[in-house]
Amino acid sequence: MFETLKQILVSKLKVPESQVTLDATQEDLELDSLAMVELAIIVDKQLGIKVTDDELIAATTISDIVELLEQRRSSAPA
Amino acid sequence: MSAQHAAVVAGVGSWVPPTVVTNDELAARLGISAGWITSRTGIVTRHHVGPGTATSDLAVEAGRRALKAADEPSADAVIVATTTPDRPCPATAPEVAARLGLTGVAAFDVSAVCTGFLYALASGQGLIAAGTASRVLVIGADAYSTIVDPTDRDTAVVFGDGAGAVLLRAGEPAEPGAVGPVVLGSDGEHVELIQIPAGGSRQPHPPDPAARYFQMDGRATFRQAVERMAEAARQATTAAGWRLDEVDRVVAHQANARILAMVTEALDLPPDRQLANIDRVGNTGAASIPKLLADSVARGELAGGDRVLMTAFGGGLTWGATCLTWPHPRPDRAN
Repeated sequence: MFETLKQILVSKLKVPESQVTLDATQEDLELDSLAMVELAIIVDKQLGIKVTDDELIAATTISDIVELLEQRRSSAPA
Repeated sequence: MSAQHAAVVAGVGSWVPPTVVTNDELAARLGISAGWITSRTGIVTRHHVGPGTATSDLAVEAGRRALKAADEPSADAVIVATTTPDRPCPATAPEVAARLGLTGVAAFDVSAVCTGFLYALASGQGLIAAGTASRVLVIGADAYSTIVDPTDRDTAVVFGDGAGAVLLRAGEPAEPGAVGPVVLGSDGEHVELIQIPAGGSRQPHPPDPAARYFQMDGRATFRQAVERMAEAARQATTAAGWRLDEVDRVVAHQANARILAMVTEALDLPPDRQLANIDRVGNTGAASIPKLLADSVARGELAGGDRVLMTAFGGGLTWGATCLTWPHPRPDRAN
């Protein structure tokens, strides 16, 4: 999931690839609250994972976002 | 001759007031950087009306240009879509019609915020289909600088003033320029996302003057805008009998460059199918779509035969979309 998220952040949200690490925070990557809305729309469309922008904003680091997306994917109906 | 007339685009025109407001000016006033504005919105400049200039002034200029482009001296109905009428009462359209030399014609306003132009276009299409009018001047005009809180960095940087107009004439459904089925929708459950809370009958005399300013919940609006514009676009292309990938030009309400990027992402369309002028004029409300049409024709980015998809979203909530094949210039006006 980290690699998938990284690819989305780099290709769609224009984050420099070298900065995307598990420890990086949204603030480190200059991801604002609208970027979390964009990410919610993209993961819904590309991965079928439903998250809200509020949930993504509460996930401070990339590691937290990866965990949230993995949890949500495994709990989604098949 | 079909029983019902189609509404065919005969000309487009637009206008912005001369005062240009740069990101540097706004950044200094709002305590943010010019780069923050550009990266967050995709907007570099916008135009503002000066003191004494009203929405009707913008609408008249755009309407005159659309009539000239169509080489038509008149219309028999004028519809103005706006969120910033000259006065709460009466509508702005009758004054616009009179100043265009059209005193006596049907004239009314349409209130659907940033979807206003498509609601007005559908209304004009209906007047023509019913035989009530044969030429309808549809104008989107807004002066958001008169309602935006100048200290609100979320809205003050996004909105600009301007007008755009389209002249519709009665024609045949199969000819280029015929407006296709218009998809329209609303969701009043989310009325509070985009609003001016006071100044209407709900709160005629608010204790807090700030309640008369335009307010927008940025994040919730962003997601609704992307989802509603994309869904309306899908419905409109289906209603027109087109596949999405047959669309040559997407003319989406210029809300925010990031919203526009997400709309093409949601529709799986290459970003270069999308026309844009948001960098130069910002979000001009109901003027956005017709202004973009006029600018794109002037820049050679929209030509006869192009399959155009228009989609919009605004307060209400409201949304809409439609398709048309762009008309060829008349032989005597081709350049």
